[in-house]
Amino acid sequence: MAQAIKLTNDLTMSGVEETLNETVEVKEDNEFDGEVEDHPVDDYMADPTRYVFYRDRKDWADLEPVPQDDGPSPVVKIAYSEKFSDVYDYFRALLKNDERSERAFALTADAIELNAANYTVWHYRRVLLQALAKDLREEMRYITAIIEEQPKNYQVWHHRRMVVEWLNDPSEELEFIADILSQDAKNYHAWQHRQWVIQEYKLWESELEFVENLLEEDVRNNSAWNQRHFVISHTTGFSDAGVLDREIQYCLNQIRKAPHNESAWNYLKGMLQDRGLSTQPGLLEKVLELKETHCSPYLLAFLFDCYEDSLESSSQKENIDEEEQKISLKKALEICELLAQDKDTIRKEYWLFLGRSLKAKYGGGDGGTDALSEDPEASVPTSEPQELN
Amino acid sequence: SADAEQIDFLRDRHVRFFQRTLQVLPERYASLETTRLTIIFFALSGLDVLDALDMIDRNMMIEWIYSLQVLPTEDQSNLSRCGFRGSSHIGIPYTTKGPGVLHPYDSGHVAMTYTGLCSLLILGDDLSRVNKQACLAGLRALQLEDGSFYAVPEGSENDIRFIYCAASICYMLDDWSGMDIQKAIDYIRGSLSYDNGFGQGAGRESHGGWTYCAIASLCLMGRLEEALSQRELDRIRRWCIMRQQSGFHGRPNKPVDTCYSFWVGATLELLDVFQYTNFDRNRSFILSTQDRLVGGFAKWPDSHPDPLHAYLGLCGLSLIGEPSLRKVHPALNITQRAFQHLQQLQQTWRDSSGSCLRQH
Repeated sequence: MAQAIKLTNDLTMSGVEETLNETVEVKEDNEFDGEVEDHPVDDYMADPTRYVFYRDRKDWADLEPVPQDDGPSPVVKIAYSEKFSDVYDYFRALLKNDERSERAFALTADAIELNAANYTVWHYRRVLLQALAKDLREEMRYITAIIEEQPKNYQVWHHRRMVVEWLNDPSEELEFIADILSQDAKNYHAWQHRQWVIQEYKLWESELEFVENLLEEDVRNNSAWNQRHFVISHTTGFSDAGVLDREIQYCLNQIRKAPHNESAWNYLKGMLQDRGLSTQPGLLEKVLELKETHCSPYLLAFLFDCYEDSLESSSQKENIDEEEQKISLKKALEICELLAQDKDTIRKEYWLFLGRSLKAKYGGGDGGTDALSEDPEASVPTSEPQELN
Repeated sequence: SADAEQIDFLRDRHVRFFQRTLQVLPERYASLETTRLTIIFFALSGLDVLDALDMIDRNMMIEWIYSLQVLPTEDQSNLSRCGFRGSSHIGIPYTTKGPGVLHPYDSGHVAMTYTGLCSLLILGDDLSRVNKQACLAGLRALQLEDGSFYAVPEGSENDIRFIYCAASICYMLDDWSGMDIQKAIDYIRGSLSYDNGFGQGAGRESHGGWTYCAIASLCLMGRLEEALSQRELDRIRRWCIMRQQSGFHGRPNKPVDTCYSFWVGATLELLDVFQYTNFDRNRSFILSTQDRLVGGFAKWPDSHPDPLHAYLGLCGLSLIGEPSLRKVHPALNITQRAFQHLQQLQQTWRDSSGSCLRQH
């Protein structure tokens, strides 16, 4: 099936993976469904699939087509074929009169085929769906087919959502979205629609299982990890100690299987960062064990965050244990050095900066051994500006 | 050496790429019809970053952009639909003057109003033909209870992208009556994910583009440190800086893509930590997506270039200080030169309204 460039309507900050750079093919002319003209007997042999311009269709003769008017000096003008212009000249004519008719409804399908990103066509089609009391089940079949062809288009998902709302029937959604995700497990539109359906119609029950299956297939699927968090936070929540333990175990197991996985570490930290990263019983020890056999930049960053958390909470206690603080600080700074010099060198300057900031905050009267800034402002730069080549 | 040749920056190719973009595109670009004004913005701002605007017929462009303004009708019944269109696709006859034409389906689009205003500024226009009050009325009509915005008054999806457009519009027009700032802040905060990036809305996966929209919006509103605590800001810095792999990607475990050198890079710049990224690896990646034949940049190496990636690739290079590129204002996403023009304009607006007050 020939496809136009997949572009959302909102380029400037659109889901930018889902932008113009997909495969581009020119549309084939024979994809248009034609209408057989009401020819007299001598044209009996006319090919019924021959495409007929709207301007040549007798049942459209009453309508004056409206061309696009870009004025004397158009900018970024798109060079449309005759067929394209013909369909849209008649679309513009219908719009101007706000015509509510079957022929208008049929034309919107042609217009969508040519450009499924035209949000005005979709809006007009919705107006007609309601004005003509069209069969919404059939519309669901239609929009299903369109999304299968163009799953990274904003308008088609929005249209589907509207139809589901009108029908007040989400029963096909989870299966449909699962099918789209089977083609691209990280399709942002699909996940968004899925979250909306689940939240709106309270379809939480099987979602954790769905997420686990996806994570079995690809433990690095960040969208699935996000969905896991979404489901749990809206059902049991994370405050339940049993749930928290289970999730921590789940993370650690996934990390053992695939250590270099930012998503798993982000999930672990995300759950715990406001619950006392350094005070989860036994966690620090487990992570220190993993450091020997399953190390990664994410593990080390997590350790750093643990030490920072313990520095912060101990500094708020009545009686500050200075020895303990010194040890935590030393360990944290060692991690920074390890990351900067060896394990995460692309972020060298950042880890050095974090080390300086931590030392400035908790170093106390130690007297630095190097010329580090004592400025407690975390954002004071002390590295040399980078020069290009 | 051959390596150095491969990664040199081909300025003239990019100038020609944008010039061609401004002329005619083939039919396979049909899906861009309703967003043509954003394409103009990429090309004009791209030429501005390249310091190559002198080859543009500014007046011609300015007229065409003003023809896209949805102006109030005689009876002002369409104020909630005012702003700028993405193109002439609805079929309104070409005009740059009011009053507006009554049409059942004609309305502005928030991203087009945003890029329209930016484009006019880049071209040196003084915005005197922008009906500011109508634009702001159109903007107010788009905001939902939860603080997010629709793109169009007929309804559309609503999310953080359009908050960014709205904030940019209010910032440029120097008038925040176009939006309820607190509600927008609430929505932005609600979009902060457990992993400390921002999603398109609450519960959604964090993403470099939406994180840019969140942080840039707060900066434009002047509310960054009011809306987010120091701890939250540090966590967001961490999420953003972890996006660098060579260039940047938009989500954990996704491939790098040229445009994130700007979305994430500019966010890091706004958060004062862009200096701690690796400029060399970033530059090498961006240039690996440069199309040496037709100019422009693509999302990945050995892919087709397009106006969005061409523009944002340039902006990514500008952030790291590529010589011969103008500096870009990281929140407004126009050159500092265009931004200074805006500041001068805003000063004259304030001066003239001040003198009105003094006269009465």
